[in-house]
Amino acid sequence: MLWTYIYCYQLTLDNHQQNSTDEHSSGKADTDTTYPVCVYCGNTNRIIQLNHAAQKIGIEVGHGLAQAAALCPYIHIIPFNKDNETQLLKQLAHRLYPLASDIVLDSHNGLAIRLDNLVQYYGGHNALWKTLARELSLAKVHYHFANAWTIEAAKVLAFHQTNAYFHSHEQIKQALAKCSLSLTALSDKVKTSLKRVGITRIKQLLDMPVHELGKRFDNNTITYLTTLRGEVFPKATLFRPSSYFNNAMALPFDIENTQHLVPFIKQQLEQLAHYLRARNLHTSSIHVAFHFREAPIMCFPVCSALPQSSIESWLSLLTLKIEPIVLPEPVISVTLKCNEFDDMDSESSDFFHNRFNEIAQKQLIGRLNAKLGDNSTYQPQAADSHQFEFMTVAERNTAHYSYASDITPTFTFETPKPLTQQTQICFGPVRLSNEWWRGSSYKRDYFIAQTSHGVRMLIFKDESSQWWAQGIYC
Amino acid sequence: MNDSLSELNNHPHIWRAREQGHNETKFSFDFTPLDNALNGGVASTGLVRVSSLVGIGELSLFKRVLCQQRTHKMVVFINPPGLLQTPWLENLGLKSTQVLVVNTTSSQESLWAAEQCLKSTACHCVILWHSAISAKAARRLQVAATHNDALCLLYSTPIDKWCNEAQSLPIVLDLALQIQQHHLSIKVHKQRHGWPVDNITLSHKWTPDNHAIKWAMQRNKLTGHTLHSVS
Repeated sequence: MLWTYIYCYQLTLDNHQQNSTDEHSSGKADTDTTYPVCVYCGNTNRIIQLNHAAQKIGIEVGHGLAQAAALCPYIHIIPFNKDNETQLLKQLAHRLYPLASDIVLDSHNGLAIRLDNLVQYYGGHNALWKTLARELSLAKVHYHFANAWTIEAAKVLAFHQTNAYFHSHEQIKQALAKCSLSLTALSDKVKTSLKRVGITRIKQLLDMPVHELGKRFDNNTITYLTTLRGEVFPKATLFRPSSYFNNAMALPFDIENTQHLVPFIKQQLEQLAHYLRARNLHTSSIHVAFHFREAPIMCFPVCSALPQSSIESWLSLLTLKIEPIVLPEPVISVTLKCNEFDDMDSESSDFFHNRFNEIAQKQLIGRLNAKLGDNSTYQPQAADSHQFEFMTVAERNTAHYSYASDITPTFTFETPKPLTQQTQICFGPVRLSNEWWRGSSYKRDYFIAQTSHGVRMLIFKDESSQWWAQGIYC
Repeated sequence: MNDSLSELNNHPHIWRAREQGHNETKFSFDFTPLDNALNGGVASTGLVRVSSLVGIGELSLFKRVLCQQRTHKMVVFINPPGLLQTPWLENLGLKSTQVLVVNTTSSQESLWAAEQCLKSTACHCVILWHSAISAKAARRLQVAATHNDALCLLYSTPIDKWCNEAQSLPIVLDLALQIQQHHLSIKVHKQRHGWPVDNITLSHKWTPDNHAIKWAMQRNKLTGHTLHSVS
């Protein structure tokens, strides 16, 4: 058996940052994503998760609330809630379920995926891991991971922040030997008694014969040690996607206006659409609930005459429904439930036709990246620039605004080339100055020109009257 | 003897020129002369070779095929001759989430990538730039495309007259594009279930031009008296 353990060490923080950047990109809030944020656990009075900005200021995991506040008076604090985090982990598992069948949820921030039975479907370890890693990065989750023969061993390695994909016994054994005993799930009592006799590394423990240890420690400890060695495979409950849809979302800040709730509800509807699509269902009623700090939960059903599944149709209905609602106080979280489904009719066979498309797409990208390297594929994205050099980026940036232009060429060259052949101008001029914040400034007159062979190019004349070719129209 | 001949005659893979009205699905180009020459358009699956210079509107010619069919699937660009620009895709009518660009380092890799894309069932069309494809590789792509309901467009450099006779590939359609006197001239070297056609001319506009300005200048030419005439 081969399991990978994915240790999501800052789920609450990731969720908060994702929500606040989404909100930021839709241009409704003036939040900056670089302000310091930390997650505080009230039970232990410790900061348990923090972002880069907070780290820079000097706050560390384990600091108390007072210390954090002293270091940075304007720090944003999110209270830690185990149930919320478990909910987030479940959402992540739902997301991974179409790609991997055997998933085990472990406490509130870790999940284990069985790999050995998947390898044959993906055609190799590399393609499988690339597909999973891509989905995790799309989910914008920070994680540490490791592989081992049992969940327990993989967990220890993930806590050790191995972050390497091992699939041979030797590699796992070597990596495991290096880990400290404090990372294991042994009880404190056992750890201290082992420490007294000078055993602090896993290697020392695994080297000892089992019957010797059996005389001194109880049964649980021995079972745990044998699972670490990979001799016993304890039974684990596999994750099953729920039979109804339930999504709870904690808002990154309190919202007083129903209009501002719409982008968050839209995200939930997107997940609902994914859920329905994967099961070939649609629905005619959903339940939305607003949670407040003091006031009782406000719950209302939204019904549609015709069963449907698309985001757009539900969103328009929902906006109409929540428009007249007067909120008694700011909303802190929203839940979306759906438990009545209708089957698709056989007449809409087109829907059935493209069902598995999305998974096929992910598998394809995973496979291409595995063979050709991580930077070999990209999906071009629109960027907010009017300069031909910066119109297209490989990674989606946070800004939603994109610059539309009907004189953009199909392809641009890496760098402009001097124009060497005779051309005839068919369109232009368009004078563009560059963006001053990019350093050097220039002004260019752009034209579309045709060569004697009929090739149309984007050319420009710079300030020193030199002609350059920059792109091509296919 | 006669019996064995009639048996051969009934073989489904033997096509006769009189069977023009074949019931295979075709994607229309929206250019009437071209659609007529190809009996309705390009076949919905298979490998299509387009030999042309880069930059004569060879991609925009396939606008309707790329944008209006199987819109839920991806269009993959393998080894494009430059950096693909998103605004151009949007003007054409392709959503950028639907587009994937693959860059490879060797021609072997790009053929491999094309075949993987075709086999994945996630792609509507795979557009590949590759200069010299062997008959064997073409056959592989052709089979991968027809079995997985996908189209593969292969763009290659214009072929010389003498060598094009030598290389006849086992593919559905082989086109050569050229610009002649501001018109796109298309030669169909080979098509499945049809005859070669020469010299199809289209007036094809694939970039904005100064037509509007020229027209306005011509219409509003100042004749006779001017507003601020200096006499």
